[in-house]
Amino acid sequence: MIEKGRISALQMAVLLYPTVVATAILVLPATTGEFAKQDMWLSTIWASLFGYFSVFIAYRLHSYFPQQTMLQYSETIAGTVPGKLIGFGLLFFLIHTNGMNLRDYGEFVTGNFLQQTPLIVTVASMAFVCAITVRGGLEVVARSSQIFVPVFIVLFLFIVVLLIPSLNPQNVSPIMGKGVAPSIKGAFIPAQWFNELFLISFLLPYLHHKEKGLKWAMLSTALIMITLIITNVFALLLFGNITSSFTYPVMDAARYISVADFLQHVEAVVMAIWVTGMFIKISVFFYAIVVGMAQWLQLSDYRPIVFPMGFLVIIVSMWSAPSLQKLSHFSSTTWPFYVLFFLTIIPILLLLTAMARKKISLQSSNVERRKS
Amino acid sequence: MWRKWRKKEKKNKQSTLKQSNQEQEPLYNNITDNENQLRSIYENCSDVIVHPFTIGGKHQAILLYIDGLSNTEEIDDSVLSPLMKATDSDQEQQVDTLIKNTVAVADTNEATTFSDCVQAVSAGKPVVLADNSSTGFSLGLSKWEKRSVESPDAEKVIRGPREGFVETLTVNTSMLRRKIRSPKLKMQSMEIGHYTKTSVSIAYVEGLVDKTLIEEVTNRLNRIDVDGVLESGVIEEFIEDDPSSPFPQTLATERPDTVTANLLEGRVSILVDGTPFSLVVPTTLYSLLQSNEDYYRRYIMATATRWLRYLFLVMSLLFPALYVAVLTYHQEMIPTSLLISMAASREQVPFPALVEVLIMEITFEALREAGVRLPKQVGSAVSIVGALVIGEAAVSAGIVSAPMVIVVAITGIASFTIPRYSVAFTIRMLRFPMIFLSGTLGLLGIMLGIIIIIVHLATLRSFGVPYLSPMAPMHFSEIKDVLVRSPWWKLNKRPRLTGKYDKYRQSSGQKPGPIRGKE
Repeated sequence: MIEKGRISALQMAVLLYPTVVATAILVLPATTGEFAKQDMWLSTIWASLFGYFSVFIAYRLHSYFPQQTMLQYSETIAGTVPGKLIGFGLLFFLIHTNGMNLRDYGEFVTGNFLQQTPLIVTVASMAFVCAITVRGGLEVVARSSQIFVPVFIVLFLFIVVLLIPSLNPQNVSPIMGKGVAPSIKGAFIPAQWFNELFLISFLLPYLHHKEKGLKWAMLSTALIMITLIITNVFALLLFGNITSSFTYPVMDAARYISVADFLQHVEAVVMAIWVTGMFIKISVFFYAIVVGMAQWLQLSDYRPIVFPMGFLVIIVSMWSAPSLQKLSHFSSTTWPFYVLFFLTIIPILLLLTAMARKKISLQSSNVERRKS
Repeated sequence: MWRKWRKKEKKNKQSTLKQSNQEQEPLYNNITDNENQLRSIYENCSDVIVHPFTIGGKHQAILLYIDGLSNTEEIDDSVLSPLMKATDSDQEQQVDTLIKNTVAVADTNEATTFSDCVQAVSAGKPVVLADNSSTGFSLGLSKWEKRSVESPDAEKVIRGPREGFVETLTVNTSMLRRKIRSPKLKMQSMEIGHYTKTSVSIAYVEGLVDKTLIEEVTNRLNRIDVDGVLESGVIEEFIEDDPSSPFPQTLATERPDTVTANLLEGRVSILVDGTPFSLVVPTTLYSLLQSNEDYYRRYIMATATRWLRYLFLVMSLLFPALYVAVLTYHQEMIPTSLLISMAASREQVPFPALVEVLIMEITFEALREAGVRLPKQVGSAVSIVGALVIGEAAVSAGIVSAPMVIVVAITGIASFTIPRYSVAFTIRMLRFPMIFLSGTLGLLGIMLGIIIIIVHLATLRSFGVPYLSPMAPMHFSEIKDVLVRSPWWKLNKRPRLTGKYDKYRQSSGQKPGPIRGKE
């Protein structure tokens, strides 16, 4: 097997959490609020259903092919040429999405903190750090996320607690004033973040105790859901219906914090959250890309292609959009369908084919048994 | 080209081996030949004494020892005088048996080759060779000047044993044996170094330790091929997992109680002759941040101290970098009144914050280094220079600002709260790259720096044990000895990665309490 390290189910859960939360926490209240208005916290619950579903599909596929990642079993299920085509599509999607993640990160940092620093510097420095991590292997990615995720959660709670005095509970009503429809409509974009959980397919084969995988993945999804509900509720209670007009509502929320004229302007804390979370998110995607690429090309080791792929991701991040506006337009219009196609529809088709094949082969073997 | 170079190296090695072949030969049967051979081996060694005498007036013999390494009084009393006075009642008796029966020394070993003799003599054991016999006897009468057991300077405690290891290996092993009296405490010894022939002991407790770990330690030690081992630091560099890492991957300690505690957790200790510092492997970052005193005082206070230490660990790494980042990029984070006073004190300073910090931090490091090296009498002069010139004068001269001096002082104190000097040093050095990163990318740079450090720590292993365990990979049951120091009656299990062969160190349910029901 190409990856020699093994991770525990807990480590997998800890990897998945920032993979979804890191980007969602910052921009999700805005995109959800656009459609769901005051019901945007409900949307997260609907959206999380996609997450559970995604994990479930990945787990079922994994139980058919316990030693393989999606790149490998798509070839087994669909045949060599279609499998390679699917693999190419998936890799392209992953590289593109990771480029967008990286760009998101770069735009956030240059937009809010380092206005005079060129975008390429922030993007490349992060890509470099992630490349070092991925070169260390899955174990290193998992261990570093085990250190960072608790810090992430603590800092997140820190901001949440400090925001409590400025909340306005009136903003949440009327709950479902226009029926369920707006909240479901608003759930479509966040659902795609939850679909990213399908990346679990790249982690499941390397688990120590495979039987615990599903439980911890579900727990992680639940924790993601809770975190995003808290984010949405707080954004809503703070800003009401104008949430969607901010680019980064949580960032602006943090600007509200002022305790005793001393603890103020804690945006830096938001950035710390964002950078640690983003680091893990990009690393997990990066890891999936590199391992997937090595498996697609049938290389014996993925380490040599880490840095070249890093360059590719940097370039894609610079080319993917001319500006932040174009980028967020793309990620709220085209990208959801893009994710839906690669991380939900294709896996479902693969799963159905695999199930059908298994049935046929079972039947045929039964027939043969009866004949003999 | 590389191949040629390698071949050359191999040849060199062979030639050194040939030289020592002379010593490998067995002893001759003739005393004059033996004497000549030994004299030629010890040519120009004025401290080696070859003393010819006769056993019982009949057999020619020589006594060989090094002046100052052997107990001459004992040699006179229990070797020379009995042997010279010995009367050979039974004519048939061999000279070997005669010596064996007459010499009154407990530790007597046979030596059959010249190298045996040389080894014994260099270890301070006098060797007796007799005529018509190809076996010599080495007598355990070594005695040399050694430092008495003192309280270790580098690891001071308020409560806890005050004895520290010394430079003599046998004293150190005896200290361990006095703490663990069970015969399960094993010590394997070996010699490292072509010329120094330093004796090295591997100590472990059988039944607690992983056998493959001992094998690995022995293999790594056997691989060492050097001229001399002067300190355990030399061995440390040869057996590390990642030699290019700034972090120490073995725990160097001069406290027998620390070594004992680690042995009882299933770790292996490497004791080296000639240095009070012994190595403990495998080690983790957290065990390097613990002091043995944590386990001797009240657990609540020990937990608080531990947290204080973690906080100051972060401070010593980040405080100057944060100062630079906030002052250069994120001024809005400082409360306005503080910002005004800081700006006022920085008004006269001609340098940007980055340069200012670098000047002060490098000066501080130089002061610290000077303070360690200088003799005590001059040391006080250094501290006066440090306190007055750098603290006061630099501020009033407008070279640095007053807040900067505070930052440097706090960072310096913070780095001294780390109980292990080696880690403290690593952290202190890592703060310079952090300062540069914060000067170029602000808080983002600091975050990137932290990420790189954590990733590096996550990659590290010490003899197969992840360096960050039990935090990453995480084990909830062990966190109680990292985030807090849980009370002794709760520490029922040994650490999972080194103590899996005997999981429980004590029976559970030993929490004490008052006797109930007696009013």
